[in-house]
Amino acid sequence: MSEQVHNRLAMVRAERKVSRQSLAAAVGVHYQTIGYIERGQYNPSLDLALKIAKFFGLPVEALFSLEPFQPLTDQVYGHGRDS
Amino acid sequence: MAQQEQLSAYDQRMYALMNRNEGAPLYRTAARRRALVAAHVVLTVASVAAWLATVVGQQMWATWVMLALLVPWCAATGVINGATRGLLELRSRALDERQRAERDRVKARAHRIVTWLLLATVVGTGVAQLSGVDVKALVFQVTLSVFVVHWLMPMWVAGLSARDEPGPEGSEDE
Repeated sequence: MSEQVHNRLAMVRAERKVSRQSLAAAVGVHYQTIGYIERGQYNPSLDLALKIAKFFGLPVEALFSLEPFQPLTDQVYGHGRDS
Repeated sequence: MAQQEQLSAYDQRMYALMNRNEGAPLYRTAARRRALVAAHVVLTVASVAAWLATVVGQQMWATWVMLALLVPWCAATGVINGATRGLLELRSRALDERQRAERDRVKARAHRIVTWLLLATVVGTGVAQLSGVDVKALVFQVTLSVFVVHWLMPMWVAGLSARDEPGPEGSEDE
């Protein structure tokens, strides 16, 4: 049983200029765990997902989803607006 | 590190020790980790053979061989522990949820492997007995070998199961 959970943790982390180490220290995990979540090699528990969402002040569904995330440009400018 | 505020001074020292990066070039890739574990297996087999030669065969030269193997064996053990970030050495409270799950997987896999090896030992012993080998004379050697395999198998499995370090911040593999 290994449902793929998609995330945009790397993007949000880069946008907020937060290192893996500081995020890991804030949520109480090893920094490798943050890297594996970003690579999709580990699905965080609900507890950890909520802690990460709280750290960034975002709803958990803004960071994690069962469906692939739309590209940010599509969300901001609308899909295929120019075509 | 999970629940850092509850860690004892010993836990914190061990955590820092297991997360040192001096040996990182030796376990950076899966091929290097396989070679490292293979070297550790060879060193272990040679050390056990030397110890048995000393204790059972009463060959004093084997003592010096065993002592000479001890240093590289300890170094290889340390590097494997570094590759796994102390997965099997740290207490549960010093591991996070992913590491605890990984440790459970490693122990389960090692348990399965050792179970099959024990079965092979039982069958091998039976076949040897039927072939006229004096099995009673080998009880100590076989028991010691099984004990060492049982003791070290989780570390070998952990070394082989370790994954590559996540890439640097902002790299393409994220």
